[in-house]
Amino acid sequence: MMNRVINILKSTSGISDWKVNSTKTESTELFFVHKSLETVRSTDTTDLKVTVYVAHDGALGEASFSVYSSYNDEKIAEEIEKAKKKAGIIANQSYSLPENESGEYAANSNFADYDPRKLASLIAEAVFEADCTEGGSLNATEIFVYRDTVTVKNSRGIDKTQIKYRAMVETIPTFNGEESVELYEQYNFTEFDREAITAEISKRMREVRDRYEAKPPVEKLVCPVVLDAPELEQLVGNYIGSLNFSSVYQHSNAFSVGDDIQKDAKGDRLTLSMRGRIIGSVRSSAFDGDGVTLVDREIIKDGVGVALWGGTRFAQYLGEAPTGNLGCISLACGTLTDEEKRKAPYFRCASMSGLQVDIYNDYIGGEVRLGYYFDGEREIPVTGISISGKLSTAIANMRLSNEATTYEDYNGPKCALLNGIEIV
Amino acid sequence: MNFSEFLNSRRDACRALVSELGKNFAYVTVLGSDVKSTAIRVNRNTSDIGEGGAAECGFVVKMHNGRAFFEYSLDDITGDIPALAKRIVDSVKVEDSIIDKEISVKLPADESMVRSFSRECDFDNYSDEELLKKCTEIRDAILSKSDKLLNAMVAIMPFTVSKLFISKNRELDQFYSWVNVMAVGVYRDSGKMVMAREGTYSNLMSEALAEMPSHLDRLVEKCEKLANAKPIVPGVYDVITDPSISGLIAHEAFGHGVEMDQFVKDRALAKHYVGDYVASPICNMHDGAAATFSTASYFFDDDGVLAHDTQIIKDGILVAGISDLVSATELGTEPTGNGRRQSYKRKAYSRMTNTFFSPGKDKLEDMIASIKHGYMLFETNNGMEDPKNWQIQCTAEYGIEIIDGKLTDNYVSPVVMSGSVPELLKSISMVSDDFKIIGAGSCGKGYKEWVRVSDGGPALKVRVKLA
Repeated sequence: MMNRVINILKSTSGISDWKVNSTKTESTELFFVHKSLETVRSTDTTDLKVTVYVAHDGALGEASFSVYSSYNDEKIAEEIEKAKKKAGIIANQSYSLPENESGEYAANSNFADYDPRKLASLIAEAVFEADCTEGGSLNATEIFVYRDTVTVKNSRGIDKTQIKYRAMVETIPTFNGEESVELYEQYNFTEFDREAITAEISKRMREVRDRYEAKPPVEKLVCPVVLDAPELEQLVGNYIGSLNFSSVYQHSNAFSVGDDIQKDAKGDRLTLSMRGRIIGSVRSSAFDGDGVTLVDREIIKDGVGVALWGGTRFAQYLGEAPTGNLGCISLACGTLTDEEKRKAPYFRCASMSGLQVDIYNDYIGGEVRLGYYFDGEREIPVTGISISGKLSTAIANMRLSNEATTYEDYNGPKCALLNGIEIV
Repeated sequence: MNFSEFLNSRRDACRALVSELGKNFAYVTVLGSDVKSTAIRVNRNTSDIGEGGAAECGFVVKMHNGRAFFEYSLDDITGDIPALAKRIVDSVKVEDSIIDKEISVKLPADESMVRSFSRECDFDNYSDEELLKKCTEIRDAILSKSDKLLNAMVAIMPFTVSKLFISKNRELDQFYSWVNVMAVGVYRDSGKMVMAREGTYSNLMSEALAEMPSHLDRLVEKCEKLANAKPIVPGVYDVITDPSISGLIAHEAFGHGVEMDQFVKDRALAKHYVGDYVASPICNMHDGAAATFSTASYFFDDDGVLAHDTQIIKDGILVAGISDLVSATELGTEPTGNGRRQSYKRKAYSRMTNTFFSPGKDKLEDMIASIKHGYMLFETNNGMEDPKNWQIQCTAEYGIEIIDGKLTDNYVSPVVMSGSVPELLKSISMVSDDFKIIGAGSCGKGYKEWVRVSDGGPALKVRVKLA
């Protein structure tokens, strides 16, 4: 189909350039209710998207559409003509498509060694191996195993393909006593490691038991707040958007290069890079949707924005070199040792409804479903509380762990200690 | 605009596939989806016409072997149907190591019905040029209202939905449309940058476009107010919720909480409270594609079940949940027309549609006047459900302080409301006599499976923790 589309694009007059993106996705999916297999799914689908560029009056217009497998040549030509007409009424600043690069890339994953159906069943076994604690259970488990073949070609000689593997386990660890409590677990990975899967789910099983035992604090807690890697990723993830080329061009960035985002800092300074690949991350990629080879870039150094990042179009508008649309975040470790952290009481957020970070309104907060209050000797499970504070204060006084960890698309400190957050 | 020609052209092939797969499976259905979606966007520096995120075209085949369910998603149904059926059967085979884990659920009902449904759509009356011009006019109108506006972003996002459902005894098709018009202001004052949003929506482009100009003054006023908003002092307050926040409470509290696939998984506490008081006696709540008219008002769901109006809470008592075909089959109940998929590539779950509290008898001004010190909360930012443990978190874009029974000019933003669902719902002491549905929402289940939903209702007076 892709070649048919390209041949018709080449024979269509009045088009300055074109781009074709294709993603073929094959999946095997298992859906369990408790330990019973309720639904088995399999998919074999292809998304094929065409973008047509038309240069006119010193400007550039573009329009895109999907090509479905049912389309014959006549229908494809008709859709191209429609897109050409649409692109002809759009007048954006001109830019160039990336040129003359080709390559085939295969993700480094042991998924390729397994039949997907077999792999899904092995993942299920690894998950249910953790379902062995007294009073605990996994009430629902969904397992997805994907193989994506991603291709981008354009009229300027870009021809790249990458094969990517990813798996996702969504499961609901539950603890049943006089009452029943649960936590939500979504675990994404690109390498099958049976022990790692079982260990991840086992950790959640222990936490849900703690949630069962957790009680609201008797007195208001006044102490620093500790965020683990998942929430820390969310927190710093809010800062990367402002340094994207498109945000700057569209005047929607809250800060820019040269701005100190940790004014009056008393803690560890943030040093953050955007990266194309992190081992194990489902967002790792060799190139972006335009076919630009991804280039890592440090964008915040010692709390100050130092560089922008992003795709080719807006990079060219700003006269900068593109990095491609990078999907992974790397945050430099800080100076907080585990020993230092445990010298004084703290409150650690283990499971939140969702960390709310509003960079524009200078807010950080959210409901904590399971937290641990460290009283100077041990961590006591706590529930029924929220955190709330000024983002700028929290960031300025933040201490970062000196130990690194990887969580999905994040590599960086395993935790952060925040001062100035109210626990209510 | 009419029902998809493509889906019409595949009717015979779908019937043949149902018949062929019927040799291996006791229950077989095919759902075909052809969703056309466009997004026209304009801001200060750029404009774009592209495909909207809802666009899709393909099929999902659902089967039941007398024990468990099986599904296969594919782009087209054509050509050698017996060969396709064999490929499907092979693709959903289960590994020997887990085959004994297959659940045992009775066959779903497959009652006879042949019907076509269609709703008026005027999208053909508007060319791309006209819609682009309209976006540009709205953008310019916004930017002309303040020199503190850094940018104004306007989007018109129409989509049409054609769906074809075929089983051995059932053949349904539907066609309907919806459009969202969004305007966003990006505003900077005294070094603080804020964004404010306004939206209009309808099944008719003419209505959605006609309404937007009346929102622009409010958009810019909101920018000005939000730029000067202060953080709220955390605490427990008397609160009035606008229809958007009332709808968010309904959605997170007893929308997700009564999705009956969660009953099957023992994930919803509500399962044990049907027939009990879970809210104030002045509280009534509904969900359903046929319960009101908004973005989720389809005619039949992705399981081929006709749209319902389900009353979830009646006079404070939990009376019913909402279900997809599979969960209803497992529970031995009637499905309520709430089986929805993110796309033909994804599984159907029990999902909300249009979810709302019913209007009450109080006047909004009396509700505000009854508060010595509190807040009125406006506009949904996001929310999070916890159906198992009945915790709730709802984030409002902003609140306005109420002092001595009067709304002040003191804005706070953002505002996170959290607490226990029954405590919150039982604290409802007044319900306004007006009603509004916000038809611009989308909702995930956990952190995935996004579908379009609406929610709303009257204003509610509650007592709740704000932070």
